[in-house]
Amino acid sequence: MTSIKSRKRNITDLFGVVPFLLFCLAFEIIPIILLIRGSLIDKATKAFTLKHYLSLGTPLYINSFWNSIKLSGLTALIGCILGTLIAYAIYRWPSIKVQHALVTLSDVTTNFAGAPLAFAFIVILGMNGVITQILLRYFHIQLYPKLSIYSFSGLVLAYVYFQVPLMILLVIPAFEGLKKEWFESAQSLGASNFQYWWRIGLPLLMPSIIAGLTLLFANAFGAFATAYTLVESQLSLVTLQIGFMIAGEVRHDPGIGMAMSVVSLILMGLSIGLYQLSTRRAKWLVRSSS
Amino acid sequence: MNLNKQTKASSWQYLLIGIFIFYMLLPIVSTYVFSVATRWDRTILPEGYTVSYYIQAFKASYFISSLRNSFILSIATVLVGLVLIVPTVYWVHVRIPYTKPLLDVLMILPFGIPTVVLALALVQVYNFAPLARSPVLLIGAVVIYSMPFMYRPVSNAIQAIDVVTLTEAGQSLGANTFQLLRRVIIPNILTGIWSGSLLVFATVFAEFTLTKLIVGARFKTFPMLLVEYTRINGNTAAAFSVISFTIAWLASLLILWVGSKGQVPYQKAIGAR
Repeated sequence: MTSIKSRKRNITDLFGVVPFLLFCLAFEIIPIILLIRGSLIDKATKAFTLKHYLSLGTPLYINSFWNSIKLSGLTALIGCILGTLIAYAIYRWPSIKVQHALVTLSDVTTNFAGAPLAFAFIVILGMNGVITQILLRYFHIQLYPKLSIYSFSGLVLAYVYFQVPLMILLVIPAFEGLKKEWFESAQSLGASNFQYWWRIGLPLLMPSIIAGLTLLFANAFGAFATAYTLVESQLSLVTLQIGFMIAGEVRHDPGIGMAMSVVSLILMGLSIGLYQLSTRRAKWLVRSSS
Repeated sequence: MNLNKQTKASSWQYLLIGIFIFYMLLPIVSTYVFSVATRWDRTILPEGYTVSYYIQAFKASYFISSLRNSFILSIATVLVGLVLIVPTVYWVHVRIPYTKPLLDVLMILPFGIPTVVLALALVQVYNFAPLARSPVLLIGAVVIYSMPFMYRPVSNAIQAIDVVTLTEAGQSLGANTFQLLRRVIIPNILTGIWSGSLLVFATVFAEFTLTKLIVGARFKTFPMLLVEYTRINGNTAAAFSVISFTIAWLASLLILWVGSKGQVPYQKAIGAR
């Protein structure tokens, strides 16, 4: 019996992962490749064409992309800033028990997305929502129609709900990676608390914060259920448009849907790629400076 | 861990954490209260309490069938995911560790594909009977989408045990790969398997996009019923939301409980929604 470690690379060993690979090919990779191919082919003549991509230049699609990017970018930024600040507050909290409880809360709430979350926001901020009515009756603040949960501003509020806890989960490990010795040496050299964070803490956290920002962007860009429940067709977003095309609720060339999908895939790929780069940089920073 | 050992939290911390907890709990608590309130749009606290919306919800025509469909979908996804992922992760760790980066890439790939795009791609390719818009196609899609949630805990659990030594010990006693997995490896990574399964269960139970776009009304799941009722009857929708939240809470509590029992730290994969 030879030891596994000393064994040579054996081609037959590769067969062990065949079922899994076949599954990924069948339900993910081949369909996506065919989708990319379909976006570049004229269905009638079967010839190569860029016309689907050129059709994306019409106001409806430009608007969808602009809204999606604006919504994802804004909620990623808000989530990133608030999440980092709250993560810092959690990290500096004296009781470990409270720290654990708050991380658990983030863990649970970041998964409360989709239809139930959207409905919960209708309950508090809908036309007859609890907060809407309290503000109106006791503070004489009229939310509607200026701020409506069924519009862009409402989506921002709902998206921030799952973005903030996700950011906390992503950035808390980075705070914990900061070594006590770094703070002590900064202090012994006469640095103030602010100087430490500005010159040492923040630069060390930066890759993790940027990684969080990119992941939050992708997270919001791909979201569908929350937006579908809240705004349906009142605001055009990329994912909503693609969804309507699949459901057959709008009659369009499927090629346009595929072209939109490919552009979304590129945007998502860029943010996930940046995320991977930033996390690698974050790990490298912590390792090389310790 | 803290830089300056604080004995008391400062006021800015109380303020920030207070706002955070308020924002996180307000929508959920409101939904719970709304589901038992007779009328709650004229006063700060509801005017009265009732369970009639729950009775309405239980009587709703697709209530039982949509709950059943959601359970079928979630459990089938967990089982297919387990059968695909556990042996593969084991095999990669023991026999072909040089392919691990490839496995990692395959597992992060679903995060980069918006669910609507996956739905469009699958609906376009499998447009023939019997696969077209069938629950089987849906399970395939949902397994792909939930794969990272299963992979992380299982992979962490396998990394935490000395899988090579265990395998060698088993082999020297004459066990084949199947016996090894069943008798040695799986019992040692049960914490990871349970965490992953519960996480996948909770994720798929709340899944809306793929179900709606791939199968549609023919296979109505619980989240689809909920979305339908947000437009018909808010009170019944609140009761549905509470049921949905409660299942999610239970799954989360179970994950925490399972995680605290094993030595493997509970690590959650982060999903793109």
